[in-house]
Amino acid sequence: MKVLKAALLLLAGCMAGAAAARAADPINVYTIWPENYARPMFQEFEKQTGIKVNFLRFSSGEALARVIAEKNNPRIDVLFGGPVETFAAGIKEGIFAPYKSPSFDKLPARFKQADGLWMAIADDPLVFMTNGAFLKANKLQPPASWDDLLNPAYKNGLQMADARTSGTAVTRIFSVLEVNGRDEDKAFAYLKKLRQNVQVYTKSGGGGTLPVGLGQAAGGIFFIVDALETKAKGYDVVISFPKEGIGTSAEAIALIKGAKNPEAGKKLIDFATGAAMQSKLAEYKVNFVPANPDVKTDASLAEVLKGAKIFPIDDDYAGANRKRIIERWVKEVLPAQ
Amino acid sequence: MAAIRSASWRRTAGDPALLGAVVGVWVLLLLFVLFPMAHLLERAFVDDGRFTLAPLLESLADPSHRAAFVNSLVLATSVGVCGTALGFLFALTAARGGLGRHWLTFLDAAALLPLVSPPFTTSISIIFSFGPKGFITHDLLGLANASVYGFWSTALAETLTYFPIAYLTLRPILAAIDPNLEEMALSLGGSRWRTFRTVTLPLAVPGFANSFLLLFAASLADFATPLILAGNSFPVLPTQAYLQITGLFDFKGGAVLSLILLVPAAAVFLLQRYWVGRRTYVTVTGKVGQRSRTRAIAPWVVALLTGACVAVAAVIAYFYALLLVASLVVAFGANNSFTLHHYHVIFTEGLPAIRDTLIIAAIGMPLGGLYGVLVGYLIARRDFPGKQAMEIVAMINYALPGTIVGIAYLIAFNDPPVALTGGALVIVACYVFRYSPTGIRAAVAQLQQIDRSIEEASASLGAGVGQTFRRVTLPLIAPAFFAGLGVVFIRSMTAISATIFLVSINWMLITVRILENMTELALGPAAAFSVFVIVVVFVVVAGLSLVLARLRAPAAGGAARSFLGG
Repeated sequence: MKVLKAALLLLAGCMAGAAAARAADPINVYTIWPENYARPMFQEFEKQTGIKVNFLRFSSGEALARVIAEKNNPRIDVLFGGPVETFAAGIKEGIFAPYKSPSFDKLPARFKQADGLWMAIADDPLVFMTNGAFLKANKLQPPASWDDLLNPAYKNGLQMADARTSGTAVTRIFSVLEVNGRDEDKAFAYLKKLRQNVQVYTKSGGGGTLPVGLGQAAGGIFFIVDALETKAKGYDVVISFPKEGIGTSAEAIALIKGAKNPEAGKKLIDFATGAAMQSKLAEYKVNFVPANPDVKTDASLAEVLKGAKIFPIDDDYAGANRKRIIERWVKEVLPAQ
Repeated sequence: MAAIRSASWRRTAGDPALLGAVVGVWVLLLLFVLFPMAHLLERAFVDDGRFTLAPLLESLADPSHRAAFVNSLVLATSVGVCGTALGFLFALTAARGGLGRHWLTFLDAAALLPLVSPPFTTSISIIFSFGPKGFITHDLLGLANASVYGFWSTALAETLTYFPIAYLTLRPILAAIDPNLEEMALSLGGSRWRTFRTVTLPLAVPGFANSFLLLFAASLADFATPLILAGNSFPVLPTQAYLQITGLFDFKGGAVLSLILLVPAAAVFLLQRYWVGRRTYVTVTGKVGQRSRTRAIAPWVVALLTGACVAVAAVIAYFYALLLVASLVVAFGANNSFTLHHYHVIFTEGLPAIRDTLIIAAIGMPLGGLYGVLVGYLIARRDFPGKQAMEIVAMINYALPGTIVGIAYLIAFNDPPVALTGGALVIVACYVFRYSPTGIRAAVAQLQQIDRSIEEASASLGAGVGQTFRRVTLPLIAPAFFAGLGVVFIRSMTAISATIFLVSINWMLITVRILENMTELALGPAAAFSVFVIVVVFVVVAGLSLVLARLRAPAAGGAARSFLGG
């Protein structure tokens, strides 16, 4: 018992010491953008405003689950980055506070929630990414149509994200719906055929990029930011677009309801939705397309996008059907092998 | 019955040390196991203030969930059996092979590697080796399009990851079986095989049961390995629960799925109690004479066993060599020129995570060791009301998938009255109550082999309960203490599933950084972090072995040489 008491005392001591040593910091953020994209942006913000950003990175699902669990005693001020649909799900849980930054009026409708519950900070189109060596070995051109991915040469060779965890996957599925004129049966017939060539559906949107880079997988469908990052790392990958067109998804930011430091939080939203941050994206090789119309897309990124047919996913349509479509995908496409 | 019960109450009440310990353990269990569980149950079964079974029935009606349930059981059973077999192979070779010191160190090191590695490492190595472009399947065997995802690779990865638990559980038990018993059987004319079958094996039964239980539960709760390796044709429950929560934002469904997991976990636990409970296995009686060097195993069998261990060790070594290479090249598979850059990254940007992880592990380690031995001792040796309930409650956090424990902690400890999230205490508590059951089981198994008469002798010589515990029982269960301590430390350095929900802006963990790095395609830093974790754990474990060897000096002989085997 003595031992136990001593242990508890020791524990209490450690905790007290730790709490004192770590005083509360100016602004707390969960970022869904990977740290290598988010960190330079936060450093810029600190340079410009003197406000330090403490941040933690989670995948979109994990971040949302956490913010919901912390609802009664929020630990953060701002949720940064991540696909719009994560924010749409968050609105249903009542975790955000409305805020309209100075850029609000400039943003096109699809880049903002009408009440200011979220605003877009970037746009992120999907691309096809294939392994260069694989294409050469199989004497294939980079896929230029959705049907090219059904080629038996890709059998058991594609990796893409799982619709249950990844916004990338949801954007992909809605892209297929759009190119099939929203004919669900036709779209699902295609998805089931595509399933035959899929090696594995990964948890995160970028999960398949490294396997494709390494040649463990032949190719897949990814956000451009992840695809260009893979290329920049030196892996032999080829980026291409389907002639029928492919979807794009906005990346958003939101103020947390009950934030402990809302004023600094609003400053971060001003920064992220404006030219202050988005003009820095290219400098740090973060290949998102700026959402703010004042910021021009970087020349090298524009070169990649040249000629590509890219369409936005209709928010109202996607929002109304998302759950049902994902459930249908889980039931029909996932087991169809 | 009533009379017995009231006698047990009276005895407990009349012994302040026992009463204090029992109450203390219950307070802790109440706060760190039952309180979060209650929150979880509330989430699963209460809707708008009313109790409802609808989500449970809905989950059971879904064929893909039922398939996941069956898959989980198949996987856990396979891992339990294969892991125990592999652990027994290592334990037998170490305890009975009569091998030299260097061989023992080698076996320990090989068995320790998978246990001390951060999550995903075995899985990643398996993909690199057996995937469509794997070094083994593609480059060596020339197979095109090998499929790596599914049951076999998941079972292989989990067996290799968890068999050290079986080794840790079985080796002290084999080491504690008096070789003189085997000698007697041999000198009475039994063949070596017969001796092994009728003397050694039955004595090891409590170890088998414990090891199977621990592996079964570990596999049942593991979500990181299936997440990467199970693919889409072999869904298991913990992964489904995780996807339900983080993907479909359906907390209720996720909570229900993970509660379903408790059923097989509890069933195996009860089976194990019933099976082991009916036998006695006292071999440390205090009457042991000079220990003779064992002849129980024929030299050619020793050679065979050692060969098999070396083969397994070689596979493990190969997996980790891949990791080391990945940490030392610019971009694994694309640009293989040498660089130390990744190590520079982890010691600059990654430094806070390293510091926090070490602080948390250093606090959790002694607490976990003490807690494990205390509860193990209470369960195996003392009589008090509610003993079985304590034993079961203490296992809950171990049996539940980490994701669920993590979220339950997050909900329970986010708001007052017990607002702990954002601090280190919540992470420490999570580790202690989640990973000490290994220490508890080890202590119980160890104590079942030690005759009570040793303690009774101490008591009849006038020592109090506390003194007997300290001077007699404690030294005897020191190996279990160090095993428990080691497991908590190792897990504090390597676990992720629960604590990914508990890290905060002020307290970061290395494992979460590794996952983060892998999402960023930064395989280099992820590998460098992993190598760092492995080195730290090895250094700490070696330090502990030295301390233990000093403390117990010659009397304990070979058993004390390594803290692992005890």
